[in-house]
Amino acid sequence: MTAEGAVPGGPRTACPNCGAAVRPEDNFCEACATELAPAVVSGESPTNAAVCPYCQSEQISADGYCESCGHKVPSSRDHTEIDLGVLAGVTDRGLRHRRNEDAMALATAEPAGGPAAVAVVCDGVSSTRRPDEASLAAAQAAVQVLLARVRTGEDLIEASRDAVSAAQEAVESLGDMPGGSSPWKDPPSATFVSAVMTGEAVTLCWLGDSRAYWLGADAAAQRLTLDDSVAGEMVAAGLMSEADALALPQAHVVTGWVGADSGGAAPHVARFEPPGPGVVLLCSDGLWNYQPEAAKLAELALPLALTNPLGAASALVTFAIESGGADNVTAVLAPFPPRAQEHYDKTLPAMPAVPPDVKELPADEPD
Amino acid sequence: MSQTDFTVEVSQNEYLPEGGDDVNAIVTVTSPDTGPAGGRSEAPAADAGGGIAEIIIIDCSGSMRSPPTKIAEARGATAAVVDVIRDGVAFAVVAGTHEAHPVYPHDGSLAVAGPTTRQQAKQAVSGLTPHGGTAIGQWLRLAYSMFSAHPASLRHAILLTDGRNEHETPEDLGAAISLCEGMFSCDCRGVGTDWEVAELRRISSALLGTVDIVPDPGGLAADFTAMMEAAMGKNVADVSLRVWTPQHATVRFVKQVAPTVEDLTARRTQSGPQAGDYPTGAWGAGESRDYHLCVRVVPAAVGQEMLAARVSLVTATPSGSDVRGQAMVRAVWTDDEALSTRINPNVAHYTGQAELAQVIQEGLEARKQGDEETATAKLGRAVALAEQSNNEDTARLLAKVVDVVDAATGTVRLKKRVDDADEMALDTRSTRTVRTRK
Repeated sequence: MTAEGAVPGGPRTACPNCGAAVRPEDNFCEACATELAPAVVSGESPTNAAVCPYCQSEQISADGYCESCGHKVPSSRDHTEIDLGVLAGVTDRGLRHRRNEDAMALATAEPAGGPAAVAVVCDGVSSTRRPDEASLAAAQAAVQVLLARVRTGEDLIEASRDAVSAAQEAVESLGDMPGGSSPWKDPPSATFVSAVMTGEAVTLCWLGDSRAYWLGADAAAQRLTLDDSVAGEMVAAGLMSEADALALPQAHVVTGWVGADSGGAAPHVARFEPPGPGVVLLCSDGLWNYQPEAAKLAELALPLALTNPLGAASALVTFAIESGGADNVTAVLAPFPPRAQEHYDKTLPAMPAVPPDVKELPADEPD
Repeated sequence: MSQTDFTVEVSQNEYLPEGGDDVNAIVTVTSPDTGPAGGRSEAPAADAGGGIAEIIIIDCSGSMRSPPTKIAEARGATAAVVDVIRDGVAFAVVAGTHEAHPVYPHDGSLAVAGPTTRQQAKQAVSGLTPHGGTAIGQWLRLAYSMFSAHPASLRHAILLTDGRNEHETPEDLGAAISLCEGMFSCDCRGVGTDWEVAELRRISSALLGTVDIVPDPGGLAADFTAMMEAAMGKNVADVSLRVWTPQHATVRFVKQVAPTVEDLTARRTQSGPQAGDYPTGAWGAGESRDYHLCVRVVPAAVGQEMLAARVSLVTATPSGSDVRGQAMVRAVWTDDEALSTRINPNVAHYTGQAELAQVIQEGLEARKQGDEETATAKLGRAVALAEQSNNEDTARLLAKVVDVVDAATGTVRLKKRVDDADEMALDTRSTRTVRTRK
């Protein structure tokens, strides 16, 4: 659960494809058009552990099971850290779920108006089919739309809506597989929250109960999104307090998502102008279930997040795991105002040497 | 040959509560919908290698004389079945008494089916006359030696008897059955009501065939022809279910549950350090069978996932085996009771169908022993299970043995007078299951 597993490279001065000199603010190599700062998505082409942590066998099947003891071995998707310098995120399987159905996508851009940061967090809805693929497909599709639009300086509210449409399409197309059979019951679906941060404002867009928070350096913190959930709707309707609503048995049933059966639900879009320096946090309910209060989250993340977003995101994820880790947990932190981007070598997903659920170790040992 | 052409599908609830260790799954195997699907004049599929060999074993013991129609119908049925054998298929007819004799060809070889050989076979069969006793083990041994001298890869026998295996010990029969396992499959038929269901079931079960009663000798020809047509439709030989399990796991049982219940658990042959093969015999085109697999694993912590079994369909090849289809049986430990307490409907259905077969057999046995109380309880339970699962054929057969007061609760009264043939039909057909609607 530490940041040590992350493998960010140093700032880059040459195109990795043709070797031509590049400037930090370039989005593409001017010589060969290679994308210099592509979006990085957790869980893309995941790899499995080479050695089974339960029985030490080195015979691991292509589908990720130990050929000796049968255990599903850790996958790089179980725990991924992405550090783009400008922003960073950590996602983890937690302690109680068999796989990580959260996904995050991070990107940086250097449009004419100054540096920008893009982040998407999606949480696959567990009661549906292939939620892990749904969250990944949604995050991948959305970040591409947002990155392209922010580079060309287009309207970010419109871009955010289009990103949700792209995510919706990508998740819907999962439902066709395999064999194009009749429409599934419980088609793949995922929650969605995105943030595009420029030097002026943060454009937020969401469906479901993944959240965005503003954690101000001056300790003024606030939640920026309203949940599409049974609890969220009770609170929004003024029927009960948040604490009471969250105690409802159905509190966490999401009422908005991307997926074939979303009924074309319109995403919420908001523009937030930060009052000063601070950090935007995007997270899945695996984090905020343990701490929904913006001020308390700010205490956990600040001041580290202002200068070391990866370290602070790790701290938030570790907090959720140590609080019980009942769900997958994802935290992405983007300091405001966004710094100028540096070209990093592709950030590699980190594989925990020992999964948190190996019995021999107490849960807090890996730190 | 190595195309992944069989489909293997798993139906299960993979979620187990903390500490749960039994993983149940229904595995549906379907063969490819191609091949010579019963076309009479076609050659057997290339898959069949050395082709098809058939031996028809006819009881010629003295009891076949009464009523006189019995031997006449048996001759007629054998002649009819010879007509169904496809050109080019190797075949022979054997007469069984307290010994066994080749009827056609006389020298104990197999003939190649064609107009001439069919005519000769029918000629030879018409001369069959009943004499002597019954030693079925001897019949099987002769068929064994005839098949083993022939290269055909699909080897199948039809065995007809009308009486008990009186002229050898059950051990003799058992030894002969063991010898024949894997050499050929055998469909068994009892004509009349003087034979023993358990005896023929022992043979058909071990030799991966069917067993049934033909109460009226007049029904033999139609039954034989249907059996032979089914045999001619087989195009993949020696198919096994290979079950890989994790270390320290045990296979509690492997049962075929559709179209009939057949416990394969004891039939395992080790095929790797953590894998065993269970024989399923020969398959025809587009055939579908269901298996109930139960594996006991070492429980893992909540949140972990384990591959509880990898089920493959394998066919024998000269160099070893070919994997023709595969599926996974998984286990996921959860503290969400809504998930772990959910019972998979297919597992529930086939658990009920297996119990149905069992309580019918136990109920009939108790009835035979004069234990009416047990018989009433068991057969009542059977009526309730048949009702719940919409197994109408079995419900109909049960209604000939018991008076049903209330099917839903399984309240029944034993009938005072039961036709032997009805009781034996219920017994032989007790293992036939129905599938759930998809």
